[in-house]
Amino acid sequence: MSKRKNEDMNVRNTATKEYGKKVTVRVQKVKKSHIKQKLVFFTVLAVCLVILAVFSDHLCPYDPYAQDLSSALQAPSLAHPMGTDTYGRDMLSRVISGARASIFSTFILVAVISIFGTIVGVGCGYYGGIMDSVMMRISDVCLAFPGLVFAMAIAAILGGGIQNAIIALAVISWPKYSRIARSQTLALKNEPYIHAAILSGDSSLQIMLRHVFPNMLGPVLVTAMLDIGTMMMELAGLSFLGLGAQIPMAEWGSMMSSGRSMIQTYPWVVLSPGIAIFVSVVIFNLLGDTVRDYLDPKNREAF
Amino acid sequence: MKAKKILAMALAVGMTLGLTGVPTFADDKKTFVFGDTTFNAENEEADINPQNTYAGWACIRYGVGETLFRYSDTMEIEPWIAKEYENIDELTWKITLNDGVVFSNGRACDGEAVKECLEALVANHERAAGDLCIDTIEADGNTITIKTTEPKPALINYLSDPYGCIIDTQAGITDNGIVIGTGPYVATDLVTDDHLTLVKNENYWNGDVNVDEITVRTISDGDTLAFALQAGEINAAYGMAYASYPIFENEDFTFSSTATSRAFYAWMNFESPVTSDPAVRKAIAMGIDKESFVSVLLKGYGYPAVGAFPDTFSFGGQNLTTESYDPDGAKQVLEDAGWVDTDGDGIREKDGQKLVIRWLTYPSRQELPLLAESAQATLKEIGMDVQVNCTSDNNTIRKDPTLWDVYASAMVTAPTGDPQYFFTSCALDSSVSNNGHYHSDKLEELAAQMENEFDVDKRAELGIQMQQTVLDDNAYVFCSHLRMSMIMQSNVTGLVAHPCDYYELTADLDIN
Repeated sequence: MSKRKNEDMNVRNTATKEYGKKVTVRVQKVKKSHIKQKLVFFTVLAVCLVILAVFSDHLCPYDPYAQDLSSALQAPSLAHPMGTDTYGRDMLSRVISGARASIFSTFILVAVISIFGTIVGVGCGYYGGIMDSVMMRISDVCLAFPGLVFAMAIAAILGGGIQNAIIALAVISWPKYSRIARSQTLALKNEPYIHAAILSGDSSLQIMLRHVFPNMLGPVLVTAMLDIGTMMMELAGLSFLGLGAQIPMAEWGSMMSSGRSMIQTYPWVVLSPGIAIFVSVVIFNLLGDTVRDYLDPKNREAF
Repeated sequence: MKAKKILAMALAVGMTLGLTGVPTFADDKKTFVFGDTTFNAENEEADINPQNTYAGWACIRYGVGETLFRYSDTMEIEPWIAKEYENIDELTWKITLNDGVVFSNGRACDGEAVKECLEALVANHERAAGDLCIDTIEADGNTITIKTTEPKPALINYLSDPYGCIIDTQAGITDNGIVIGTGPYVATDLVTDDHLTLVKNENYWNGDVNVDEITVRTISDGDTLAFALQAGEINAAYGMAYASYPIFENEDFTFSSTATSRAFYAWMNFESPVTSDPAVRKAIAMGIDKESFVSVLLKGYGYPAVGAFPDTFSFGGQNLTTESYDPDGAKQVLEDAGWVDTDGDGIREKDGQKLVIRWLTYPSRQELPLLAESAQATLKEIGMDVQVNCTSDNNTIRKDPTLWDVYASAMVTAPTGDPQYFFTSCALDSSVSNNGHYHSDKLEELAAQMENEFDVDKRAELGIQMQQTVLDDNAYVFCSHLRMSMIMQSNVTGLVAHPCDYYELTADLDIN
């Protein structure tokens, strides 16, 4: 990797020498504004989704839980842009209402695992010792299982419900963050400024909060952003399998599950939540990618 | 290099062939694959041993076993293995078997074999023992004489229940639950929850069998079943989801439908602090929209129910009265009983107890989750919080009355064409399945009368009174009766839905 980077630098240096500095600067400017544009674009989209989730109660054209069997399984129309389901409930309202369950649950989940994982990782990395070994072996156990399978087992033990699905996914997903935080801490704690902080009498907590934690915020943040899409899929997956949200809760995964028998006959019942999952996961994944690019030290000098 | 290329190509071709599978061009054997959602342990049909819980259903449905008598399309008793019966006195029945009936292993199915089978049945099967009350059985050539410990007017009907399949007990039962019967097919392989393999019974006593080999596939998932039938992996299906019906409404497929006495109904738990309140039970009965459930969710493949039996029976719902769908009335009933929403969350309370209904049901009968979700919405309107627990583990959970308030299930209420069965199986103090511990002195008294009543009309009259008693207590809420359908490829003949839901694969089955 570093060899390739050096080669790139050589090429760029040569180019600079041959065609003058102006050219190189222009290329970097284009790249910079491109990333910025992307960042703004996806942030706006993500914020739109969040607004949709926050104000879902006011944005739903109908009550998402009100059954009206006389208008069951109607195809998309002006009155019901996404059609109605088996029980005559408006699909658009259920998809909007489901945004709250799906997006908020994902945010809570990602917040919990990233904060908890980071605290554990920093603690383990900074203090080391038995606690470090024990926590890392526990995280090895979690990482050794295929994620969703382990989550299914936990969710099945805890029983259905979106809270239990969040707990199940949290239990298996935190080690990733603790690994990142730990490795960063191990690298940082031998930096001269940490030694200086120790010499100047800072407590361990102060050092971790002031000197270690801010320096690892970037990688943790990027991982968390990239995790939103994955976690959204996994939560929807658990609900699809009946281990997450329970009926009649409007949640995209469980809506797909209850509509899957209609994929050939009344496709809108399964496609509406499916498209909602697809769009939100794509938005959050692209946002995560862009944030990563934005925070990438390779591009940092450009800003 | 060239050799390598050739080798690579050969491998590619080999793999492609391997993936697609080489079709078996066999012989002119007729094979038939039947997909069934209910042949599984969840439905207490783990195998085909009729003396094991409800597995007799599989034994009789798939043509392995046959009973002494069978039901006609109008649910009247007609001869099968036996040709006639005579009721000598209240306690004594003489049954004469057909000549020439043989088990698939060649052993003659005579009086002695039937005696052995029935003795084993009452020894092994709690429900059968309770129904039949057999004291002694005597075999003499092709006749058997059964003496009961108490008058059993419906004995012949009970003997026609799937548990009454006559099997060769001397041949025994294999570890995986395969038995030797007298039916047109012989089971050769059985894996619970997966498949059952049947071959033609070369010794079949009652005519020619058309199909050589049958595989019954347990496909508990309705979507998989639909895809399998569409793809031609199965030739016919039982238990198709209503939502999939439109896919098969074309000339490539045929439907065979019939009205059955299978009822979808809710049992109330009398041990529960909530449903032990008569007002709550009444409100539930008034809060379920049966008409819409049948017309919309079941796509018209059903009939709204009043009582346990459909209108086709003389003791059917037309003779009964019960609560009709009336949300406003239900609200009033709850108000009057002191169930009021004091905290404004839409759910009523009384003495600090929230009106939460734990609704237990199971997914293998696809109507039940639909009923649960529909009832959840309509009951919420009247201030009940219905928490649905739709699980395959229902049979364990329902035995513990602290875990549920309402249990919605499906049951063939008159498999014997007689009203007694329903009450003895789930509504009396002595009923094995009376898990909600319902008790009514009046019902017990009427049941005792029915025990001794041999006159069919009077039994029907008692059946009506008993249903009305149950309905007046709102101990059960009957929601609908099933119009059962089997869907098959249009080249399949002889697969006909029967009102009692017992007979599926018969010697008439053919595929062209």
